[in-house]
Amino acid sequence: MSELLTTLLQDARVWQGHRQHTTITQPAEATGYQALDNQLGGLGWPRGALSECLLDVCGIGELQLVLPLMKRMAGSGRTVFWLNPPSTPYAPALAREGVELDNVVVIHTSDAADFLWTLENCLRSPVTGLVLAWPGKLASRDVRRLQLASEAGHNVCVLFRERHHAEQNSPAALRLELMPADQQGLRINILKRRGSWPGQRCTLAMAHRADIGVQESPRVVSGPWPGTSR
Amino acid sequence: MLWLYLHFPHLMLDHVRRNQPTDKPLVIADGSGQVILQACAQARDLGIQPGIRLKTALGLAPELSLLQADQAQETRLLEDQARWLYRYVAHITLASPDGLWAEVSSLQRLYGGLAAIWQTVEQALAEHQLTAWPALGHTPLAARLLARAGKGECTADKGHISHALNQLPLQAAEFEPSACTRLNRLGLNTLGEVFALPQKELARRLSPELLVHAQKIQGTRPDPRAPWQPPHRFRQQADFIQEVEHTQGLLFALQRILAELEEDLCWRQQDTDTLLLILKHRHLEPTRLRLRTTGPEHRAETFLKLIRLKLDQQPLRAPVTSLVLAVRRFTGRETPGGQDLLGESQDLNEAWHTLISRLQARLGEQALTRLSPQADHRPEFAWCASDVRQRTHSAAGNWQALPRRPLWLLPGPCPLEQQPVAWFSGPERISAGWWDGQRVHRDYYIAQLPGGQVAWVYRDIRDAWFIHGWFG
Repeated sequence: MSELLTTLLQDARVWQGHRQHTTITQPAEATGYQALDNQLGGLGWPRGALSECLLDVCGIGELQLVLPLMKRMAGSGRTVFWLNPPSTPYAPALAREGVELDNVVVIHTSDAADFLWTLENCLRSPVTGLVLAWPGKLASRDVRRLQLASEAGHNVCVLFRERHHAEQNSPAALRLELMPADQQGLRINILKRRGSWPGQRCTLAMAHRADIGVQESPRVVSGPWPGTSR
Repeated sequence: MLWLYLHFPHLMLDHVRRNQPTDKPLVIADGSGQVILQACAQARDLGIQPGIRLKTALGLAPELSLLQADQAQETRLLEDQARWLYRYVAHITLASPDGLWAEVSSLQRLYGGLAAIWQTVEQALAEHQLTAWPALGHTPLAARLLARAGKGECTADKGHISHALNQLPLQAAEFEPSACTRLNRLGLNTLGEVFALPQKELARRLSPELLVHAQKIQGTRPDPRAPWQPPHRFRQQADFIQEVEHTQGLLFALQRILAELEEDLCWRQQDTDTLLLILKHRHLEPTRLRLRTTGPEHRAETFLKLIRLKLDQQPLRAPVTSLVLAVRRFTGRETPGGQDLLGESQDLNEAWHTLISRLQARLGEQALTRLSPQADHRPEFAWCASDVRQRTHSAAGNWQALPRRPLWLLPGPCPLEQQPVAWFSGPERISAGWWDGQRVHRDYYIAQLPGGQVAWVYRDIRDAWFIHGWFG
């Protein structure tokens, strides 16, 4: 190694990725999934920052991923906002999972300006525990604005976006790529996280969301699909 | 009995002036628009006196701003004045269109003397930016005549008051015009000279009505006045002499009205959660804006913020000629019920109301909903969205005992186009709704689609397949 480089390294003027093992203490909420928490350095969903979940279609277990946190927040009296959900959050299922529905508020906005304004207001309010938002299109400037708003509050904000946004950069503190896995599981790629290198993967078993036993053979009484051997 | 009479020489003018400060001359014309009734100081400097014809006035001051008097509006304005005066005085009688009586003899002990009452009323008049000529009298009419003549003084001395009355010219005594002329022809010029005449002769030679009037002034004949009761509502109007095109111009007038509302609510110890703001336009139907706060509120600042949001959201359709702010719903003020000494929980509660009010003001009330399960077998009817402000008293039912349901319910069933790769459970037959015409007859299955999604699918009675939800 050249003289110059050694000096630079010794003076600590060059940042070295592998040296960074000091645990970053950032406020966070456990995800409720041990496997995922381990991959996230034992932290979980960051508080006061944006998290992004990137997925193609709904129905792969994405709500199940945030459900433990939602249950905890609503149970402790903080409000959970659903902003522009793509379908109706089904109240009987939420009640069955033990989510305190009195603390769940669903908001629909008509245009993008309203959406940003609403999300900002929710993030800045002390009553908010968790915001789940489906933004549709977002300019990176808007994501930056939301990140600033979420830093002003201390709550968890999860944005659900389409997977092709994974290639764009984003100021969100945590970026997860969600894909369906075998046996109705959910494969998670960590695209970005604070305090360490991304690139971890894990697969969570989500089969319980539809009461599907892992070992159990399917319980369909008779093949309903006409003209097919299932 | 001692009566205080307040004569408002140009109430309408004051009313317009305080909502829109302007330095242009301003006059109020009568209903037909022919004669000037009230003229402001600038107009009077230009030589415009009340009573002259409008054409003359326009000749004197071409840039004159003009407003037509409207009887209903004058009455309403007078009631507005009575409403704030009611805070100081219990017994008020209106004298439309430009004056009101207040019975003050019973208040002397409360205020500690007549001078204190006089001062309180004058101070309140100044606060409301009103011009009024007060006068005291032992009969309602005596007070009125003195006030209208501008001869009011702060004294309860009978001799002094009757001396002032006796000096009044007959024209100021509000006799019938014909009777007044006859008295003049008799060589009588002041009220004192009429009082000096023998009463029997007065009734016989002139008219009994004239005698009654004179006796009422003197107090030898009873002149009962029914007290006015303040209505239990708040309504304030601001009229603009120049049409307002921007929201900012409205906010100036609103600020004053909201401050009065806050004062009114504080005084009643009440809160409100609904304001009605009506913006009147010259050619269009009035714009009606309903502003609702999520919780009871009384602070002008909060109302102003909400109104500002609402107005930002909804640009003015046309220039505004006048605005009305009305409040009909009042709720008693509740003492904070938090057990927390430091008010931690209360703060959150208030923050919640503030946030929801803000969101609703901008997004509309239907944009925010709260979900609750309903006891129905049909998936579409097994949930309902309710207003956020109503605390749903969801019965702590045993929801865990319910069958498995998806977290996402599609707004409507969507045809199943791909063949599922795996079937997990089913069928669960749901057949209900024959009682209300929304019949549902389906077999539900849980299946996995090729994309990896776990869907809640059903087959209806016609053997068609639909997706109804996602196990998200």
